[in-house]
Amino acid sequence: MTVSERRGRRVEFNAIGKSFPSDSGCVEVLQGVNLSVAAGEFVCVIGHSGCGKSTLLNTLSGFETPSTGSVLVEGEPVEGPGPDRMVVFQNYALLPWKTALENVVLGLRSIRRGEPRELLVSEAKAMLETVGLGDALDCHPGELSGGMRQRVAIARAMAMKPPVLILDEPFGALDPITKEELQEELLTLWRQQRCTVLMITHDIDEALFLSDRVVMLTNGPSASIGEILSIPFDRPRDRDSLLHDQRYGELRNRALEFLYERQGG
Amino acid sequence: MASFLQLDSVEQNFTRADGTVLEALSTINLEISKGEFVSLVGHSGCGKSTLLNILAGLNQPSRGGVILEGRQVTEPGPERMVVFQNYSLLPWRSVRQNVALALREVKRELSASERAERTEAALAMVNLDKVAERMPGQLSGGMRQRVAIARALALEPKLLLLDEPFGALDALTRGHLQEQLMQLCQKAGITTVMVTHDVDEALLLSDRVVLLTNGPKAHIGRIVAVPFERPRCRKAVLQHPDYYKLRNELLEFLHDQRRLSNRKPAPPKPAAELQAAAASSPSPKPIRLGYLPGLDAAPLLVARQKQLFEKQGLRVELLRCQSWEEIDDLLRIERLDGAALSAAQPLTMATGAMASTPLPMVVTQTLSRNGNALVLGTQLSISSSEGLLLHLRQGLPLKLGVPDRLSMAELLLRHWLARQGVDPAQVSWQRRSPMGLLAALEGGLIDGFAAGKLRACLAQHRRSGRVVLTDSAIWPNHAEKVLALRESWVDAHSNQANSAAVGLTAAVLEAAAFCDQTSHRQELLQVLTEPQAFGPQLLAPLQEGLAESNLAKDLNQATSLLRFNRFFLGQASYPDPAEGLWVLTQLARWGMAPWPNHRQELLERVYGRRLFLEACDRLGMIDQEPTQRRYQLAEGEYFDLDEPLSYATNLPFSTLSPCLP
Repeated sequence: MTVSERRGRRVEFNAIGKSFPSDSGCVEVLQGVNLSVAAGEFVCVIGHSGCGKSTLLNTLSGFETPSTGSVLVEGEPVEGPGPDRMVVFQNYALLPWKTALENVVLGLRSIRRGEPRELLVSEAKAMLETVGLGDALDCHPGELSGGMRQRVAIARAMAMKPPVLILDEPFGALDPITKEELQEELLTLWRQQRCTVLMITHDIDEALFLSDRVVMLTNGPSASIGEILSIPFDRPRDRDSLLHDQRYGELRNRALEFLYERQGG
Repeated sequence: MASFLQLDSVEQNFTRADGTVLEALSTINLEISKGEFVSLVGHSGCGKSTLLNILAGLNQPSRGGVILEGRQVTEPGPERMVVFQNYSLLPWRSVRQNVALALREVKRELSASERAERTEAALAMVNLDKVAERMPGQLSGGMRQRVAIARALALEPKLLLLDEPFGALDALTRGHLQEQLMQLCQKAGITTVMVTHDVDEALLLSDRVVLLTNGPKAHIGRIVAVPFERPRCRKAVLQHPDYYKLRNELLEFLHDQRRLSNRKPAPPKPAAELQAAAASSPSPKPIRLGYLPGLDAAPLLVARQKQLFEKQGLRVELLRCQSWEEIDDLLRIERLDGAALSAAQPLTMATGAMASTPLPMVVTQTLSRNGNALVLGTQLSISSSEGLLLHLRQGLPLKLGVPDRLSMAELLLRHWLARQGVDPAQVSWQRRSPMGLLAALEGGLIDGFAAGKLRACLAQHRRSGRVVLTDSAIWPNHAEKVLALRESWVDAHSNQANSAAVGLTAAVLEAAAFCDQTSHRQELLQVLTEPQAFGPQLLAPLQEGLAESNLAKDLNQATSLLRFNRFFLGQASYPDPAEGLWVLTQLARWGMAPWPNHRQELLERVYGRRLFLEACDRLGMIDQEPTQRRYQLAEGEYFDLDEPLSYATNLPFSTLSPCLP
């Protein structure tokens, strides 16, 4: 199977618990999280600050090991970070002394050693062009706006065609218009590659626009899944029609009610 | 009518480092009642904080001013408290001392014990009495902002000004503080103006949301009334059936502002994708029509109220706009599919007259006839059209406000002046949004205005102007407003067996017939003054102006059948290319557009007679098509369809030279 034919993989969180040592003993952040994500599904995780969303996805990326339970990707337990699960953070995490192109090439090289440089460069270029950065290949991150930097970070991740993509509030720092553009570009790339996506966001509108399901975590400590919303809108989605769909308000209110009424205390 | 707080023609300019001038705010007029909660919403840099600073007295406007309870605001004062996003507490003082110090500074007349009492009450109000001894650095962001609000409220200001008070807080804390603030303001009945960019926050808290356009020259783009009952709670507000309609209205306004600022045309969607979307979508996009509040919008509003659109199987949304410019912009970015336009506009848009980019429009029916009046400010002491002519013949200056896009009101007035031997160039024409004409007149920016009867009624009602001429004296029963749809929209929806344009026209036609029955007039007034139309505050002026007869006699004798606009009777709805031809003669005559080479073709394209007649068929209406070839204007003037160019050339003050082919 060649790289480009890969499809998203099934992800399972089985009874995940996570505790951290603290001055007063032990803080339990997550408790009994069970979630099964289908191959190629787009899932958003929302919850209040500090509820353990990032911790949960870190057990998938392999940055953290769960205290109890296990994370499976296509039936195989996660035992550390790997190129099959790429992560995009809010703060871009680009190498500032490398150009946009070099940042993407570097990512490709890390998983495809020994392949000719020209091939990697041409693939990296194509990916940067897809996200509208064809004119900024030779710019350093410092010369790019926040939106452009995040485009580079997404291009770097997607160029590696990961079966699982993990996004930790990727658009949280962007202005509304750039945010909307990037959401649409992300959906286009997801449609092309059919990877499985898990994304953390604070923004309910973003979750409703992007995902197949919205997973809502209860407040920590000992956070678990409070409710899961299925998002029924057909794809490809048009933001305008979505906003005018009666179900949109109903779903949004349901999520807000969960966050404010039931979790707000 | 003195209001509690008034922003009167406020403008703000800044001089840049290189000496050039940035016009940040342009002509802001806003009245706020006592106890009202108003939000200012707009994109970063639109000048909303500047406006708040002007209210606070921290900035002096370049023009215009702020009046609070009859007094001009010129400097900061304790009756207007501002709360900023960054708390601005004294970090070396405890929570209690922060509040007490402010009281000691401002309320010197209070005794020490009274001040202490108030300090404790303020802290208890925001549930901070238990942490009163802590220093600000030991508090969370949300608690610090509560201290700042408590400090402001302890001073019992007349006006509370909030500049993105919760912008720096996380969603949950923000939500709690919003509800707390709402309760405090409701209890204290305090008048509040808040700057925010969060539309949910604005809807939850406000009585009205004032949307500002993007700068430079930012102005009020739209004002949205928020009808939720008080006391409010978030849950009930979110579940209000109109919540998402209002939220979408605000979001779309903001979205449109961005697109207008970027002027980056949206890439056209592939046809296949559009069709797929149309086929799969359970609820197709509604048809969106824009209008400006005016009596001639009646057929559209009646069609909505009587669900005549639904009867034709259509979903239609009406968008109340603030200016012709806004409608023009929204049509160009395809936010609107059509609009009620002045009868002069579709042709100026289609021909790209007056240096605009052409936008092909299709007129499917005439919405109203007559209805404009010339109002002069009472300070001029001119009470008749003869008086006006005398004034002008003496060579005296006159600043006349006219709608901000070329209108029938302006064309007819120019025509009339020229007929009376007065060169229209002698008048200083000030194109403004019709919504701002009355304020401009009352503010002394213009001497008078020509606009629809709604504004004439208001001017008379407020005793700030009087009607000296109506357009029925210039051309009785001329086409005033038309229903015009974007040609691209009509084309995209014409393959269906059930043409949307025909259905739309049929619905509005049925409404127009309803409007023209005398017995329906009171009901019509009710529809027009509903909150989602123009608002109940207009009921009195309209009744005075329309139902009673104590306005200028002229104003009520526009037609023999009805006392105001004609909507349907006498083949009034027919979209008549002959009337378009007259508009073309006027555009050429005043040098606004060249005489078109293919005028028949142009008129056939713009005037969608076929759509109109199909709509008549659908309703079983017959004989709606006039057959005349000659039109009679006032005073025995005829407009002959067969010789339009010679007509235009021979008109007084025509810029066309007679030797043209």
